[in-house]
Amino acid sequence: MTAKTFKGGAHPPERKERSSGLAVERLRDVKQVVVPVNQHFGAPLQALVKVGDLVKRGQKIADADGRMTVPVHAPIAGIVKKIEPRTQSNNSDGPCIVIEALPPPAEGQEAPRPEDLVDFLPPLDAFACTKEEALARVRAAGIVGMGGAGFPTHVKLAPSKPIAMVIANGAECEPYLTIDERTMVERPEDVVEGVAITMKIVNAPEGVIAIEENKAYALPLLEKAIASSPRTRAGMKIRAQLLKTKYPQGGEKMLISAITGKEVPSGGLPMDVGCVVQNIGSLCAMVDAFKEGKPLIERGLTISGGACVKPANVIAPIGTPVSAIIAAGLAQVNAEGIGMVIYGGPMMGVAVPNYDIPVQKNTSGVLLLDAEEAKHYEEETCIRCGRCMRACSCRLSPALLAVAIESGDYAEADKIGLLDCIECGTCSFVCPAHRHLVQRFRVGKQVLRAIKQKEKEAQNAR
Amino acid sequence: MPAKGMLLSSSPHSFTQISTSRLMLSVIIALVPATVYGVYLYGFSALALVAVSILSAVAAEYVFRKAIKAKTTIGDFSAVVTGLLLALILPPTTPLWMAALGSIFAIVVAKEFFGGLGANPFNPALIGRAFMLMSFPAAITTWIMPNGLSLPADATSAATPLALLKQGQSLSDVAAYFGASDSGAFLRQLFMGYRAGSLGESSILLIVVGGLFLVFLGVVQWIVPAAVLGSTFLFAWILGMNPLFAVLSGGIAFGAFFMATDYSTRPLTPMGQALYGVGIGFIVVIIRKLGGYPEGVTYAILIMNVLTPYLNKLRVKKYGFVPPVKPAKPSKEASK
Repeated sequence: MTAKTFKGGAHPPERKERSSGLAVERLRDVKQVVVPVNQHFGAPLQALVKVGDLVKRGQKIADADGRMTVPVHAPIAGIVKKIEPRTQSNNSDGPCIVIEALPPPAEGQEAPRPEDLVDFLPPLDAFACTKEEALARVRAAGIVGMGGAGFPTHVKLAPSKPIAMVIANGAECEPYLTIDERTMVERPEDVVEGVAITMKIVNAPEGVIAIEENKAYALPLLEKAIASSPRTRAGMKIRAQLLKTKYPQGGEKMLISAITGKEVPSGGLPMDVGCVVQNIGSLCAMVDAFKEGKPLIERGLTISGGACVKPANVIAPIGTPVSAIIAAGLAQVNAEGIGMVIYGGPMMGVAVPNYDIPVQKNTSGVLLLDAEEAKHYEEETCIRCGRCMRACSCRLSPALLAVAIESGDYAEADKIGLLDCIECGTCSFVCPAHRHLVQRFRVGKQVLRAIKQKEKEAQNAR
Repeated sequence: MPAKGMLLSSSPHSFTQISTSRLMLSVIIALVPATVYGVYLYGFSALALVAVSILSAVAAEYVFRKAIKAKTTIGDFSAVVTGLLLALILPPTTPLWMAALGSIFAIVVAKEFFGGLGANPFNPALIGRAFMLMSFPAAITTWIMPNGLSLPADATSAATPLALLKQGQSLSDVAAYFGASDSGAFLRQLFMGYRAGSLGESSILLIVVGGLFLVFLGVVQWIVPAAVLGSTFLFAWILGMNPLFAVLSGGIAFGAFFMATDYSTRPLTPMGQALYGVGIGFIVVIIRKLGGYPEGVTYAILIMNVLTPYLNKLRVKKYGFVPPVKPAKPSKEASK
């Protein structure tokens, strides 16, 4: 199979070998979870429980009306101890529900029956139910894009345009992260089943599981799972596609271009080119939601980085402080050697002050970088070498865009395509002068949006 | 729990190992063959010219940055590159003090006055040479035959192939002047590097080797050199000049690989770079054919430098570009 790819991009050091061979371990007996109320891209939720409540595992604890909302469920059975603002993985404070696990039954006391502690949805056959029922299930199970953005999956699966292709995003182009890789190796059948369910919901004729060459060894496993899947035997068309290893191939737009050769129109969505892209973790969460009625209450993540002496791929309940995963011994760190803590990958992840911050639905990894990896370079002047111009996968001329923003020329920045920037970080990565390009674009986007909003209001006022 | 000392910064958190100084160093390495060959052809006085030019460029930058209380930037080696480039496009007999003055002018006026590296609109080395050409026209147009490592006192003054051509000589006359049997042999001689000319512009072979080294490393892109050389060849051919002679003579190859590719002063977009290169080739041929100077690479590049900001408008269409829907033009009736 010839490996496909997109134009542009870069090759940051992968460092995946640290954890790619490690089987996913499950964290058990979590004492306390801190569950952020808002973990999705969309409107805020309301907590449905109050302090002192007993909650079952899988019980809905936060929800709201509105299309762009996704409920949150209790990841463990326990007592609600506090509802208060805590630092989230985006490094800002948000309301969190603190749940303490029930203590083990005292001597002579009867252990609680499992059904008193678990509150899952009834199983549902995705291939026998209606599209509406299936979408309702995806929402009720609290499923969001688990690759980072946290976009509500039930919205993604209800496109207003016909879909020709469902793409499972197994690119995992962020350095260090190996959880999608491990999931594809350990649960290939569920990945295939998830693609099939997605195809059924959006009525797509083709499903493609995309995987980068640095994990090509998983390709036969996927192909075997595809061949033996009851869905493909029933005639569904699913295939695996090899991609050249390159960052940011896991970006939705780049992935679609790599596979189909089409480009998502500026300001548009993947559905505009007939595609739906799903994260590997989200696909497995969907399978669990239909087969077991299990909501999204736990997820897999990679814990790695130079200060992580023993890296790991773990499944932890949502809301688990990463420090608890380390305390349980699943991963080991050299605490003195930590130079930087990142939730997510090194290219797009968020730097945070500590690793007590809980795992969220969109936390694909936590990196504990050593001083060398966390080395920050002083920003030098732009030498106009043009490396960012060639690396930008959105072809946005970052060097010129930065000049436009610095000179306050937002009309020019808009023309170049500031709002099309996906903030993948490739331009900053390749910059020999270590210019903080993405940071400028982030700030610039906000300014430009505010300007556009103002213009709109002025126009409406007329 | 580590709370203190944690670095918080905007993503990305991973950075390339390639730095500005590394890029500049690779340019210096690419220039080593041409420089060494120049010293071999013209002796130690050529080496002194290179050394003085580099040292005065670095010193000028250091002193100027100190004087304006700005951060010292000599560590990025860009001043070394400017000094070296200037030396290589000067006649080997240029008095050292003139070279020093040209170097200082290049750094202080052409580069630092505009804000330093990356902010200068004109190629500093070429500005330095243009400044010297206007200030010391005789010295900067006096050439000698390559005389090996002997002292320049023994040197016989000579004319450059382009100057001879400008005087109305035919190509075979020029070939005979340089001891070549015919014009074909002379072209080969030009390619290998035996002629009267600037210090570092003798051997096209070594210049191309250095240039391709940079292209191979990805330090410069092929578009500008290809456009410069291709268009020079084409326009010379159209105007009835020997196109091979056009690209092998004078400073066009050196200019194409090392001057026109200067980061600060060439356009950033591929389309802009192509037009920029074609423009340089066109102007060079026009100057050689119609102008008062036998050679025009310096001015061709400086003239195209002016257009760089405009050529940068020729951007590649962004990913997913959707042509804006033009509002229907109001008819003339309606606008009245």
